[in-house]
Amino acid sequence: MKQDLLRIGNRELSSRFFIGTGLFPNPYVQKEAIKASGAQVLTFAVRRINLEATEDDSILQHLQHEEYIYLPNTSGARTAEEAVRIARLARASGLSDWIKVEISANERTLLPDPIETLKATETLVKEGFTVLPYITDDPIMCKRLEEAGAAAVMPGAAPIGTGLGILNPYHLGLIVEDANVPIIVDAGLGSVSDVTQAMELGVSAVLMNTPVAKARNPVGMAQAMRMGIEAGRLAYLSGRIEKKRYASASSGYEAFKLN
Amino acid sequence: MELVINGKKQELDAETIQDVINHFGLAGKPVVVEADGSVLTAAQWADTSVRPHMQIELVHFVGGG
Repeated sequence: MKQDLLRIGNRELSSRFFIGTGLFPNPYVQKEAIKASGAQVLTFAVRRINLEATEDDSILQHLQHEEYIYLPNTSGARTAEEAVRIARLARASGLSDWIKVEISANERTLLPDPIETLKATETLVKEGFTVLPYITDDPIMCKRLEEAGAAAVMPGAAPIGTGLGILNPYHLGLIVEDANVPIIVDAGLGSVSDVTQAMELGVSAVLMNTPVAKARNPVGMAQAMRMGIEAGRLAYLSGRIEKKRYASASSGYEAFKLN
Repeated sequence: MELVINGKKQELDAETIQDVINHFGLAGKPVVVEADGSVLTAAQWADTSVRPHMQIELVHFVGGG
């Protein structure tokens, strides 16, 4: 089989696992988990430095920049304007012009605000960013974001950090069917079976943080998730059988008849 | 001079943004600066003068998904 690459913007990726860098028990476990995941894209957040204690707590001190593509997010933003500001700050670091637009207006669900997300995507695409918006699993919104120039669209499976799995596989299937850019499931996944299901539905990649970082063994879980992604992808490419209402013998029913 | 850094008033002996960075021991670290609403690249720090009550944001990258 020829190499199955994922193209986003002007980059080609062999890994379909985007991994977040929050919540790990310590930098060593994080580094080992990232290694085990095989991920090439890492996400992180932009925050004010604590000036009372500036000894380096930046996530980047533990990572080798050239090995990864950095996908900073705009978490904490509640409006398009705030998200654009965070994106510009992130790009000024010189590390990446990729940005995950994440705009939540509700603290309880952290569900994305679709209107502000669309506005921010339009602005950032015009400014030359490679924009990957996090959005609800609404097929029409996903299409709108693609039309606005998003390099990939990232519908959530369920609210961030819940591990509830794919609440609406029907919608995800529709989104994939209709998409001309990669669809990446972001947020809400909990288990290997969730990620395999997502990949079987035909999404191009998954973005996860909590299910790996908060597992009892994050390194083992990172590897398991990687294998689940690969299995789901191969199954999708190979084509599953149709579901039928009644049995059909795999060795042929006629062969069993003794006259 | 008095500056407003990350939302807090600070009395600092600084002429440029680079001096502010140095004051907090942040030289060479992955830091991004916004001064009075304008985002500055690292190359601009030494040439950007600070003025009294300038609003400066110093941000970095932390874990997130």
